[in-house]
Amino acid sequence: MRLADARALMPDLVTASGEPQADRRLIETIAGWCDRYTPWVAIDPLGGALAEEGTEACSAGGFGGDAGLLLDVSGCAHLFGPDEAGERALLADLVGRLARHGFTCRAAMADTAGAAWALARYAERQADLFCPSHGQRDTLAALPVDGLRLTAPILETFVKLGLRRIGDLYPLPRAPLARRFGDLPLTRLDQALGAGGEVLEPRRPVPAFRTRLAFVEPIGRPEDIAAATSRLLAALCRQFEQAGVGARKLEIALYRVDGSVERTAIGTSRPNRDNPKLMKLFEEKLGELDPGFGVELMILAAPEVEAWSGTQDVLPEAGALAASLGSDGTVDLADRLALRLGAENMARLLPRDSHLPERAQVAARVSSRPAADGAWRRLATLKGARPTRLLQRPEPVDVTAFVPDDPPSVFHWRRHAHRIVRAEGPERIADEWWRPRPDGSRPPANAVPPVRDYYRVEDDDGGRFWLFRDGPYKLSANGQPTARWFLHGFCA
Amino acid sequence: MSVISPSAFAPPVAVRAAANDTAGPVSTALREKVRRLERAHSIQRAGTAAVPTGLPAVDALLPDGGLLTGALHEVEAGAAPSGRVAAHDGAALGFAAHLLGRFAARTPGTLLWCRRPSGVFDAPPYAPALAAWFDPARLLVVTARRDEDVFWAMEEGLRCPGIAAVLGETRAAGATAGRRLSLAAEKSGVPALLLRSQPAPPQSVCVTRWRIASAPSRSTPGLHDIGAARWRLELRRNRFGAPSIADIPSWLVEWNDETHCLAVVPEALHGSPGPLFEERRFEERFFEERMVG
Repeated sequence: MRLADARALMPDLVTASGEPQADRRLIETIAGWCDRYTPWVAIDPLGGALAEEGTEACSAGGFGGDAGLLLDVSGCAHLFGPDEAGERALLADLVGRLARHGFTCRAAMADTAGAAWALARYAERQADLFCPSHGQRDTLAALPVDGLRLTAPILETFVKLGLRRIGDLYPLPRAPLARRFGDLPLTRLDQALGAGGEVLEPRRPVPAFRTRLAFVEPIGRPEDIAAATSRLLAALCRQFEQAGVGARKLEIALYRVDGSVERTAIGTSRPNRDNPKLMKLFEEKLGELDPGFGVELMILAAPEVEAWSGTQDVLPEAGALAASLGSDGTVDLADRLALRLGAENMARLLPRDSHLPERAQVAARVSSRPAADGAWRRLATLKGARPTRLLQRPEPVDVTAFVPDDPPSVFHWRRHAHRIVRAEGPERIADEWWRPRPDGSRPPANAVPPVRDYYRVEDDDGGRFWLFRDGPYKLSANGQPTARWFLHGFCA
Repeated sequence: MSVISPSAFAPPVAVRAAANDTAGPVSTALREKVRRLERAHSIQRAGTAAVPTGLPAVDALLPDGGLLTGALHEVEAGAAPSGRVAAHDGAALGFAAHLLGRFAARTPGTLLWCRRPSGVFDAPPYAPALAAWFDPARLLVVTARRDEDVFWAMEEGLRCPGIAAVLGETRAAGATAGRRLSLAAEKSGVPALLLRSQPAPPQSVCVTRWRIASAPSRSTPGLHDIGAARWRLELRRNRFGAPSIADIPSWLVEWNDETHCLAVVPEALHGSPGPLFEERRFEERFFEERMVG
């Protein structure tokens, strides 16, 4: 029905334009909130408005609208009670909490995602929303076929054929069904009944290590949050020790009473499971978190872990000794600096075997192995005189030279004329033809590689510069010199 | 710490001048007492020692014959002979790298280099050249977007026992930042260097402040090649050090890239007679030719 028709039927109709982006954001927020129950939260990929490009939208009417979340709560319900009682309690808790935040939702629990999907949307009785283990075949039989997550044309044909209930499909022979409708109905049926597997794609990577701490009374003071973090960290570090790993990244999530989630993460440059050191890193970050009106739940997770390669744990009495034994503290310093300034702003300089000056020095990650002893000195002795500072991007300079092939007598750089008194050069550096170009293509085999002629020059003030001419001196067709001059560095 | 009187922070030269004016023995004794307090204060610190700069003439003026570790030293680029401040700090960087190399040779450990990149015109230090002074494999380069972050990173580095020396490149260090760095350095015994690409009014509380300008090098007679790098070195502040005759002691030094040593050039040889010599020869020849003609 179009809007005009609807208005004609009901003149005082209240309308609002749809906002798929805002819907998406809201469902993302709710999904983030649902992390309190399980790390395995997926946004239903079949929801009409939320469907990703390219996925097939399906009829998702019923009671539930089309937005949906799928939670894999395997192994999580025991926090709410034993066995089935725990699962029921979890479901009730979820619906109750969402209702308190003002969301009307229908949640169903079943052995399979397909069955839960169908029940949440088409179950008529409240009692059916909880499907006991292995009971999905009976429970689903009475639901309309729309609950199978099929495309509209298939559903229309089903209805024409008189297949109105999911149960109507049970006795049909599988081969003709597949021949008539393709694989989709059988796949969906198997997924709903548990005969076929279905992979839920979690919204966020599921961390292997995770601890949670729920509070009876919401907490809000920074000291309380720090103390809770410390307790979570202690529990997580015990998990690390048992598994023989160390954390590379830790993420803490604060579930606030108003339903929003505050998150922050720390990273370390090598696997770490040292509780005090990690706590020190967290202390920097906890200040950024806003507890709002209170925090009711905190979850600490380690999305990135690596095999523990660190030093042997020392006895607690030898605390003073440990500091000197463990390392010189540089790693911890690097962690602290990386946390505030960003890991990309920390670099270790590594030599690279290259003739091009800008390629000879690589800024590598701090965690990378430092250059071998004397590698730099060897490199320095192989090359000619090099500047102490290298411009990231060579700056073009205007040059006057008496003889075209000579070093310039004057060059203009940043509105200053530098009269050159002494010069050394040229040092010819050719492009490395064996390397692919920046765009990935390889230079043609017979092409002459571009060359640069480097000159070290000194101006009348004693300033020493590193200039280069881009290619040999040549005149173009209209008599203008083609080669340009650049300033590439400053010498000591 | 608390017993140091404010006058202890006055430069030694001023103390001496004041001492000469007033009654001799009392003020001499007082001066000696203050000096001892200061020295005790500076020596007490963990591992504080003096590292010679490698220039005997300079070391003679410095306390304990060298640059104190556990202290802040400032190196700034100065004006060239023509009075113009160069747009780059090649000479100051060279001298700072030399000092860093002296500190690095004393203790093993990481060298922390903190800097603030200046956008697309940024010219970061280039390790193949710095290898002449120290092993760049020991270098940890930290870039920050704000000056406060540079100072913070330097302070963190100064507190870390595994760091051999900390160098910070900044435009200007305020009095507070300098004081904080000094205190952090004093506490740990790690030397701190500040490198400024432009001269700035003296603000910070450093032990030594150097102003470096590049000076014309000396060509091989008859050629126009670039000789060993020469710098004009000025010691503009020398706390705890011996007073010198000149108001601001100044030297012309030469860095030999082949032997890797820094040496003071005797001032009599200062200047570069090369071009002048050449010009005269040319003029003479010109006149001779005209005379013959």
